[in-house]
Amino acid sequence: MSVRYGLLALLDEAPSHGYNLKTAFERRTGGSWAINIGQVYTTIQRLERDGLVESLGSSAGDDERREYRITPAGRAQLATWFENPVVAEAPARDELTIKVLLAVAAGDVDVTALLQRQRRASIEQLQAYTRRKAKADPKRDVAFLILLDALIFRTEAEIRWLDACDARIRSLASAAAAPPTAGSKETDG
Amino acid sequence: MTTLVELDGAARWFGAGHTQVTALHPTSLTVGAGELLAVMGPSGSGKTTLLSLVGGLDKPSAGRVVVDGQDVGSLKPRELAILRRRTVGYVFQDLNLLAGLTARENVAIPLELDGRSIGEARAAANAALESVGLASLGDRFPDDLSGGEQQRVAIARALVGGRRILLADEPTGALDSMTGESVMRLLRAHCDNGGTAILVTHDAAHAAWADRVVFLRDGRLVDEAHPAPNPELATTAP
Repeated sequence: MSVRYGLLALLDEAPSHGYNLKTAFERRTGGSWAINIGQVYTTIQRLERDGLVESLGSSAGDDERREYRITPAGRAQLATWFENPVVAEAPARDELTIKVLLAVAAGDVDVTALLQRQRRASIEQLQAYTRRKAKADPKRDVAFLILLDALIFRTEAEIRWLDACDARIRSLASAAAAPPTAGSKETDG
Repeated sequence: MTTLVELDGAARWFGAGHTQVTALHPTSLTVGAGELLAVMGPSGSGKTTLLSLVGGLDKPSAGRVVVDGQDVGSLKPRELAILRRRTVGYVFQDLNLLAGLTARENVAIPLELDGRSIGEARAAANAALESVGLASLGDRFPDDLSGGEQQRVAIARALVGGRRILLADEPTGALDSMTGESVMRLLRAHCDNGGTAILVTHDAAHAAWADRVVFLRDGRLVDEAHPAPNPELATTAP
């Protein structure tokens, strides 16, 4: 979906051909979102079929040389895409969520240790992203930094969720251990 | 790598007998020059206790805490005060800047307490403010500065006069994400220039600026994280 609109957005700026579209798309999305040229051509063919782009000049030329431009219908669809928020229709099924849920239910899995292994792995990933961020140029590498921020905040959200799972399990365990009338006392530290 | 901070079986407990509360079980850890260490863990896990021991604000009940070659537990109050003024700088979540003093005067305080001349303290304060990007705001009072600027003044005060060990307790807690990031860049730069910083935080995105992240739980070090080698970024478009 995003490749389709990405190519439309690039063609909205100027007519272009397949290989240029591929490199421009990769540059715009932070230099790390590789697409193969075959994917570009298939997407363009679909856009052309749907009347959203049209080829310029003779249709006899080979794929590599053929230039395309956006049509008014393509422009309208692109505008609609930018105007509408992206809302996931259903939460993605996520392996980690399922693993934690099953571990909690299993009873014989050390959930605290599982959460800590995951927390360590996620922080290590976060450290690696942050190293790249520290080296990036805030003026020149804006697209790359925005992409890194997306990855960093997603990983951070995962860690916050792990912390919340941990706290929930701990409070269950301490409620089970403490006599019902005793107040809980926590020192900050 | 020169070791600047060493905990050797350092522990801290309060009270005695069956009312004894252990804030930190015997813990061993070294932090070298150039290293940024982050300490993470839930509330009550011993993070702040660990930081207080390194900062000379508290002494271990057992074991040793060695800071820049000095055994903190054996120092007299006067020597501890000197350690805090010359070697170790503290940054808290609450900035603790004095409202009636300008940014420059706030930064100069540790040096004036240390008996330096006002001119010398002022020059060092200017240099410290410059290092945190606030050279032009030295005459402002804290209330006329943004939260991020105030925190940078607090960092300048912690580093003034060439103190190498920076201890930071949730320094980004009250800041928005971009301002928090600029604070982390300062801590990173301090360490890249040969200093050391220990950062206590619950914020994973900020802890990730560290070379090493240690995890405390119920007063014990339970785990340690190092940067993953070359992570894959998004490599395929959906």
